[in-house]
Amino acid sequence: MTELFEPLLRPYDEKRRAELVAAFMAVEQAAEPVPEPTFAALREPSQRRVVEEMLALVGRTLIRSRDRWISGYRDEVAAELARDPACGQREEDRAVLVLVLIHSVAIPRAEGLLTEDSWMSPVPTSVEELRKRSQLPIGELESALRRLRAAGLVGQVKAGDDTAGGFVPGPQFHRLTAAARRRLQEELILAAGPDSPLAGAVRARRRDRSGRQGGEA
Amino acid sequence: MSVDPGVLARARVRVLGPVPIGPADPAPAGLTRAVEPSGRVWLLPAWPDGATPALLEEYQTAPPSMDRPGQARRVFAAALRCCWTDLDTAPWPGRTAAIAAALEVYTCMGRGDADLMRRWGLGDLRRLADSGWLLLDETAGTVRLGPRTAAWPADALSSLRDLLRRLPQPPEQAGAAR
Repeated sequence: MTELFEPLLRPYDEKRRAELVAAFMAVEQAAEPVPEPTFAALREPSQRRVVEEMLALVGRTLIRSRDRWISGYRDEVAAELARDPACGQREEDRAVLVLVLIHSVAIPRAEGLLTEDSWMSPVPTSVEELRKRSQLPIGELESALRRLRAAGLVGQVKAGDDTAGGFVPGPQFHRLTAAARRRLQEELILAAGPDSPLAGAVRARRRDRSGRQGGEA
Repeated sequence: MSVDPGVLARARVRVLGPVPIGPADPAPAGLTRAVEPSGRVWLLPAWPDGATPALLEEYQTAPPSMDRPGQARRVFAAALRCCWTDLDTAPWPGRTAAIAAALEVYTCMGRGDADLMRRWGLGDLRRLADSGWLLLDETAGTVRLGPRTAAWPADALSSLRDLLRRLPQPPEQAGAAR
């Protein structure tokens, strides 16, 4: 079913075409962001634009992290998918995931241990912490963790000699756009400290934004 | 901002995996239809120029990992052995087999506690069903190939056929002349 991409690929010779397809498949299918030097079509800005156009046809966009690239849902597509009940995550999975994000990212970031604009973290959240805070029976918690791992939303860290094991955000968090990372940050602020001045600022900014959009419409 | 319905349909298939649609519904461009003998139709992603995720190997790029991949692959091979019985044809849609038969083939493939292997094997069948590689009906005790197998390119099947020929036969066919 190549005809979808054909108008974008037709102008290129066989070699260029193969490079474009390889870059598209790599950013779509790889577990982690792929290095730019490995993929000719990611190195050249003009070719990269074609990869971006190919991704747009399937609702996706390129996401850069340093000299690596991966793909993620375009913001407007993610918003549409989020409205579709079939595409949502179960409530208990979301609850467990939020706990992992709070303990592995939000708290370490507040302590200055994580400085990058990323939701990846080396700090594991222990199963004990998840059990205590989620108040889920252990069987349900384990099922939720199994589904989240299978979806790449959490990863497991094995305990070392002097480090505790547990769960960290999974590789799917590489695939968030800058806007999605910001939305997630704001949602966590609203959830963790709804009465805090920061939460007030988030609400004010959102009111401004929706007011502006309402005015434009 | 409204999203083009074709774009949204393709993005949705990425979220959900193979999606069942009505028999008369057309497949949006960039998606392919896999039809079961019952008439049920699934939408699958189709990649440019016939590429498959196996392309990643050429670039030493790792695909997402799964738990206990070796065991899951062996369980999948056992299910294929039972459901893809006519190796001269394409694997999809194959035929319905008993879950017990797939687990029997799996336990014959290894050396271990058979009860334990069956228990773990059932867990792997469930995981393979979650990701669209198998269709599992635990009430009826049956397993079928999942619609994802319809996307396997025909020219990539020969080594899989060789592998399956070397696996133990499913129990219900063991007595049948072949």
